[in-house]
Amino acid sequence: MNTGLYYEITQFYYREAYLLDARKFEEWLEILTDDIRYRMPLRATREKKDGSNIVEAMTFFEETKTSLTTRVKRLGTSSAWAEDPAPRTRHFITNILLETVSEDDKLTVRSHFLFKRSRAQDVGTEELFGERLDVLQKSGGTWKIASRTIYPDQTVLSVMNLSMFL
Amino acid sequence: MYRQTIEKQTIQEIKEKMEQGLLPQWILTDPSIYEREQEKIFARTWQFLAHDSELPEPGSYVTRWIVDDPILVVRTNDGEIKAFLNSCPHRGTMLCTADFGKKKSFLCPYHGWSFNLNGDLIGVVAGDKVYGEEMKKDDWGLRPIAQVAAYQGMIFATLDPDASSLEEYLGGMKWYLDILLGRSGGMEVRGLPQRWVVNTNWKLVLENFSGDPYHVQSTHRSTVELGISPKDPLYAGYGHQVVLENGHGINVITAQGQGRPERPPYQGLPEEMWPLFESNLSKEQLRVFAKTTVFVGSIYPTLSFNSPVHGSEGHLHNYLNFRVWRPLGPDKIEIWSWFMIDKAAPDDYKEDAYKGYISSFGPSGTLEQDDTEIWTRVAQTSKGYMARNKVLSYNNLLNYLMGFERVLPDENFPGPGIAYPTCYLDAIHRATHEHWLELISRD
Repeated sequence: MNTGLYYEITQFYYREAYLLDARKFEEWLEILTDDIRYRMPLRATREKKDGSNIVEAMTFFEETKTSLTTRVKRLGTSSAWAEDPAPRTRHFITNILLETVSEDDKLTVRSHFLFKRSRAQDVGTEELFGERLDVLQKSGGTWKIASRTIYPDQTVLSVMNLSMFL
Repeated sequence: MYRQTIEKQTIQEIKEKMEQGLLPQWILTDPSIYEREQEKIFARTWQFLAHDSELPEPGSYVTRWIVDDPILVVRTNDGEIKAFLNSCPHRGTMLCTADFGKKKSFLCPYHGWSFNLNGDLIGVVAGDKVYGEEMKKDDWGLRPIAQVAAYQGMIFATLDPDASSLEEYLGGMKWYLDILLGRSGGMEVRGLPQRWVVNTNWKLVLENFSGDPYHVQSTHRSTVELGISPKDPLYAGYGHQVVLENGHGINVITAQGQGRPERPPYQGLPEEMWPLFESNLSKEQLRVFAKTTVFVGSIYPTLSFNSPVHGSEGHLHNYLNFRVWRPLGPDKIEIWSWFMIDKAAPDDYKEDAYKGYISSFGPSGTLEQDDTEIWTRVAQTSKGYMARNKVLSYNNLLNYLMGFERVLPDENFPGPGIAYPTCYLDAIHRATHEHWLELISRD
């Protein structure tokens, strides 16, 4: 393992988390490739014999760069009530695992996420957690996300909406 | 079971306010009201369990809830749908914790009793040796849900053995369900329902879908700002609001203002599907369907639906979204949201429609994100002393006066129910809340 590369990727994810939590969504869009596939399938409770507990057929996000851009633009309107006043969010990204380093310019990376959110005066906090499977691509010397699949661990989400990006 | 915590006098006072188009806010999240609703409403009405396509073959099962009762829904070897309490009759263990799957029998992990798809007790560990030959296995089968019935593929159940039939309960709503579900020969559920939890009350989300096109232009203004929704503040009001029996209601929205360009017929569905509509629907149903852009409404008490038209990246598409508002308490619900589409629709159309749903509805939907924020805010303001004051000395009365004694029904509307010629109207809300009061007032 190239520790320099590992450091580079770790910094990339911390930087991404910073952009999201600091609400620099337009800058976040810039680190996504134009043909990104951004998905969040459902998790289900299933018996072992029945197979995977990830339901690919239904998702919480099934996005392209265009649809993600629309979502970001919505946040720029004067009436995105769920996000204005803005809730406070933190993306904690850990367990970064470089799965395949087959080519110089392409990486498959697994990471864990813990997302915490504080809304208005609510004393209780909301959280989401799970795993992300990304394909990162290097072009022009910088890394971009070419594909992201978010696997939530909950079958019933304990958040009132998914107005965030994960 | 039920404790008399709401006085007859209080019920009378609620009634008097409702007759004036007002609703005391305290009834939204009051714990004693909630307790009464559990027995008088949820245990006595028909509740949606699953769509036929979720149980494709013998042995298919899904686990669902009727409020706090866990329900196991199975397709038997004969192809029949049965529903049981998802609890072992021996010592109460939840029998099946998976969301869906396929089985020949259900084994309780506690003491090993097992049950077939008909709910019969078929295996007892050490059977005769410990219980003796006198044990009657017939007495210890899974407890069936009192009544199970389906309409247009929608499987419902009620815990009340004396409840009137599902068809009688749905009444005039069947005519509209035929359009929504039966127009092309049947719908299919894609994957699983999305599920998430919101801190609000079931009555207020129900009424949002039942009869509240008025909220669209403000709650969803961000989509107007983006140019996704029309700028005309009246657009969601064009059409008919239809009050049906038993607390049900539907808005048949044409979104067609005077002098505006014609919208494509049949919610923009592909022309190759039109002959199916013509063979499955009556002339009157076709007439209404052809002109409608959005159908949105509710089947009392906890099932709502939305059949909109969305455009994304140049294509118009329609889908059908059903949702259960499962009450988890006076101020908490679990939303279950199903994406459905015509089986007969072309595959690429199905795919586009699904993407349209994901972008608009469900927890990530650009429309629904703001709904849950606002529903939470209503519940939050309903718990204070002023709101909870039952003699209403602080005037915490909510306004249901839109069109009150002012808008007359349109006698020429071809569908059943009392149809008013606008959707910006509180007629369904008033009727739904009157029905609610009637149900909770029953002994």
